[in-house]
Amino acid sequence: MSPPEVHLVCGTRPQAVRLAPVAVAMREAGLVTPVVVAGGRYPAMVGQAFAAFGLAPDVTLRVERGAGSRAELRTEMIRRLDALWTERPPAAALVQGDTTTSLAGALAACWRRIPVVHLEAGLRSDDLGSSFPEEADRRLITQVAALHLTPTPHAAMNLLDEDVATGDVLITGNTVVDAALAIARRRPPFENPEIAAARAAATGRRLIVVAVHRRESWGAPLDRVLAAVRRLVERYADLDVILPAHPNPAVRAQVHAGLGGVDRVTITGPLPYPDLSRLLSESYLVLTDSADIQQEAPSFGVPALVPRETTELLVEQASALLDSRVRRDAMTAGGNPYGDGLAARRAAQAVAALLGLADHPDPMPALGSHAAAYGAF
Amino acid sequence: MSGTAELVAFYARSWINRDRSAARRMIAPDAEIEWNLDAAVDDEELVQTLHRIAAFADSVTVVSTTCAGDRAALVYDCAAPFGTVRMAEFVTVAGGTVSEIRQVYDVVALRRYFPGLLDED
Repeated sequence: MSPPEVHLVCGTRPQAVRLAPVAVAMREAGLVTPVVVAGGRYPAMVGQAFAAFGLAPDVTLRVERGAGSRAELRTEMIRRLDALWTERPPAAALVQGDTTTSLAGALAACWRRIPVVHLEAGLRSDDLGSSFPEEADRRLITQVAALHLTPTPHAAMNLLDEDVATGDVLITGNTVVDAALAIARRRPPFENPEIAAARAAATGRRLIVVAVHRRESWGAPLDRVLAAVRRLVERYADLDVILPAHPNPAVRAQVHAGLGGVDRVTITGPLPYPDLSRLLSESYLVLTDSADIQQEAPSFGVPALVPRETTELLVEQASALLDSRVRRDAMTAGGNPYGDGLAARRAAQAVAALLGLADHPDPMPALGSHAAAYGAF
Repeated sequence: MSGTAELVAFYARSWINRDRSAARRMIAPDAEIEWNLDAAVDDEELVQTLHRIAAFADSVTVVSTTCAGDRAALVYDCAAPFGTVRMAEFVTVAGGTVSEIRQVYDVVALRRYFPGLLDED
């Protein structure tokens, strides 16, 4: 008899990156059967993200592009998941984060009284107004989840503050760290030809990856970053810069206007996840407003600077790290507070424990404790 | 619109419009009712709580309804002066009335934006 199925519900590429290590860990442990359910508006893109990990969705729930609003997407996803789970009820459903698909998965499972596991649980902006509906959705998922897997101790504390039972919360670390480490360990060849050429030509030069994508960074903040990057390239002859630009045409035009044609600067479109992970692992420094990259980079011993200040300050801070390897290394010497590369294994064991198939795993050790084992990569 | 969809839409409209007697009529006398609030619940407690929410809220909106046979899943946004509470409700209908209700509130937001609601008896 095969182990009970656990359905991993996925609607976006970032979710696929976080769920893939969990599916792999479940498969390796052999206590449950992971079933990847890809839904949402772009299941093909989700499939591509899983492919980087040697996985493919087991079930694809196509939602027509006409389902434009969040409400329509949520309604349709609940309907399709309910139909799937009528025929093929899993022992548990695992959802990640706070997307419309996450809430749909959690509610559809709750509707059928299927235990819900929430991965990357406990994140709070503490501002229900400005981040509605994401904050409301993640809070509602908390209410229906039987097991809360948190990326950090702080996220776990958020849940305990909301009266979630201690025994239902496990600090696993963030599986995005596992994903980045897994990809970088394989060192796959670059898919993007511009990146491949730039890296082949960069003999001995240090690499800065610049990834500034958030909407609030567009306009003047992005101009400040571009000006800082130009000055750093002028100041340091041993520096290469790779800048994957946001696909928005106006942003791309702004980036090209600021750095187009500058020697040792490569501007690309959005990169496949394996390319980005490998680039991070080879970087000296990262300038980014991406929460994902901020969490992944420290696993490679790469500091991430978040460009929120003036051009001058950004140049000053980056220069300090470029001038002193010791100072640069010190930034990540304490390890990665977002994960130790073992989050997916803990998640897989915790789900098995929920189903009575394994002992409860230990939480991710706190940084600085004797049990912390940074360097799984 | 299916019979289930019509019935749950009428039930939702009844309590949102603070029509307690209509909401009561929609709920079967022996209905099974659950929620994730600490207080015990029966049909009268449910109707009273929904009435207080509707009375205090600036607006209550059904943001999605999913029907499957005699079952329906609804998501509401209850907008109060200082913020919005999201609530999910799972309903089963039988014989023209609601025979089963399960409500899941964002309890943290409910305490924050509907002060006193959970303290009243």
